[in-house]
Amino acid sequence: MTAPTLTKDAVAPAASAAPTADAGWTAGAARSPAARHLPSLVRAIARKAGRGIWASGAIVLFLLLWELGPTYLASASTRVFLPPLHEVLRALGTLIDKGQLQNHLAASLTRSASGFGIAVVSAVALGLLVAWYRSLDRFLNPLLEVFRNTAALALLPVFTLLLGIGETSKISIVAYAAFFPVLLNTIAGVRTVDPLLIRAARSLGLSNFRLFQKVILPSAVPTIFTGIRMAGTSSILVLIAAEMVGAKAGLGYLIVNSQMSFLIPDMYAGILTVSLLGLLVNYLLVAVERHFSRWRTAVGSQSN
Amino acid sequence: MTRVTGQTPKISLRNVGKQFTVRASKDQPEGTTLTALEGITLDVAAGEFITLVGPSGSGKTTLLDLLAGLTRPDTGQILVDGKEVTGPGRDRAVVFQQYALFPWRTAAANVAFGLEGTGSEGRRLNRKERADKARHYLELVGLSGFEDRYPHELSGGMKQRVAIARSLAYEPDVLLMDEPFAALDAQTREQLQEELLRIWRATGKTIIFITHGIDEAVYLGQRVAVLSSRPGRLKQIVDIDLGERSGDGDVRSDAVFVEHRHKVWSLLHDEVRKAQDAGHAKIRPDGFAPDEAPQLSKGQISTGRAA
Ligand SMILES: Nc1ncnc2c1ncn2[C@@H]1O[C@H](COP(=O)(O)OP(=O)(O)O)[C@@H](O)[C@H]1O
Ligand SMILES: [Mg+2]
Repeated sequence: MTAPTLTKDAVAPAASAAPTADAGWTAGAARSPAARHLPSLVRAIARKAGRGIWASGAIVLFLLLWELGPTYLASASTRVFLPPLHEVLRALGTLIDKGQLQNHLAASLTRSASGFGIAVVSAVALGLLVAWYRSLDRFLNPLLEVFRNTAALALLPVFTLLLGIGETSKISIVAYAAFFPVLLNTIAGVRTVDPLLIRAARSLGLSNFRLFQKVILPSAVPTIFTGIRMAGTSSILVLIAAEMVGAKAGLGYLIVNSQMSFLIPDMYAGILTVSLLGLLVNYLLVAVERHFSRWRTAVGSQSN
Repeated sequence: MTRVTGQTPKISLRNVGKQFTVRASKDQPEGTTLTALEGITLDVAAGEFITLVGPSGSGKTTLLDLLAGLTRPDTGQILVDGKEVTGPGRDRAVVFQQYALFPWRTAAANVAFGLEGTGSEGRRLNRKERADKARHYLELVGLSGFEDRYPHELSGGMKQRVAIARSLAYEPDVLLMDEPFAALDAQTREQLQEELLRIWRATGKTIIFITHGIDEAVYLGQRVAVLSSRPGRLKQIVDIDLGERSGDGDVRSDAVFVEHRHKVWSLLHDEVRKAQDAGHAKIRPDGFAPDEAPQLSKGQISTGRAA
């Protein structure tokens, strides 16, 4: 019917009326953000530096203990199995020089990335279906509960028997381990969409498909990414274990093989790599999760 | 009761009723039906601003859902432009009390939300056109410069402005508002009331505005429809004539205003007491009482006591 016929003077009072009570604080902030933020920036950096020193204290102490402990505290026999840090780092350097570490790392990364990727895609897809179709949920839920509560590693022998000790079985077990956190979080994410938002979208005439695409999915994304982060951690964990049992390459293999060949510093170099890899993966996934959850920031937490 | 003459009313409610099945509970092992609305007949003219007051639980939100096409009536008919409402449509938009903004979208993207489908002319707006429209409507509600804010970066009043802009951007003929200002502080509420009147005058929308604030109902409405306590029936419609209110004076303390206010108050007062006597607190079957606002400022329905 009547397309709004708005003249400039109809708009003007709004612009002048609005900022009084309601928008006053933003007007102040917009005036000179740089001037207001400079001293607080310096303070923030100082505080961050102080916190950083304190936060790395425990790590530094641990590394010191690792370096000095074996030499001065441990008995000679223990020293063999617990070489000081510099020996481990030297072994690590040699492994890198010879390109061995890179090979193992590449093998592990390929496996975990493939398994993880398969898991994420299939779990998100299934999770969306299960959350959308109640009857499918009722049908599948008991079975999913059983599998979910079966430790992935308990199934390792089954995977090995059925799929051999090649890549397929290792990728499969990683996929299996990564599948459930993603699935459960996808279901939870879709389920916990604010019904009011669904009402609002419906009142704007959205079809089921559009509703799903524009409301349910975006609202579930942060929860789904929490699941993906959890899956990332567990996929590395399970892969290393699988590689320890039967493999010809990979970080798990490096660790076990070094132990059996009595190359103890190499073994520790492998362990160190695993833990650094875990840290890195977790860090990346947390960053991704944060990126997708920006809008979730709590109302009270805006600090100026 | 109706003052519509000649042309077909914009909205026409004919003997509208709605029932809910209440789930079985310990006291009532058999599920019972609850009549939320009964025999509502009402015509609203194009371009009219009508407010709807009623005690908590009298079926105001139920009625709004019916008008929005989110639910269907059990009896009677709802007509918009003479055509029966069968679902949500581009001719009506809803503003909810709790804003219902999409938190992952900026203010501008929220406003553009309703524009992303195919429009009424069967044409899809491109990105630029949508952004222009969003900016235009944000300006209309006094939020220029806030396009890129996320809802969590906005105050309650600003959020509701965005929600209003979103509904307007959809370019409906009818704006359905369910206690849109109830969660705001008194000052912001008055400000938004005034702006809503300005927008209404500028756009000529038909507005159905639900509230439980008597002041608000009398201040905004050309007519105030008073609902009875459950089951919600139309108790009376009060015509409001406050004269020319373009002046800066405090309309609310005018003798005419006070008179109208008192009239609506007496009508409601009876209903609130009846509701109390019948033990009808508005509590959903799951024990959730959504409308039990903890603070009742003056002018809102105070429950009994003064009797
Ligand atoms: N989905 C529902 N199922 C059962 N009862 C409902 C439902 N929605 C509302 N009711 C009941 O209908 C009555 C009217 O509710 P509502 O329209 O929300 O009231 P108001 O908005 O006027 O406070 C209340 O008694 C409420 O408990
Ligand atoms: Mg209500």
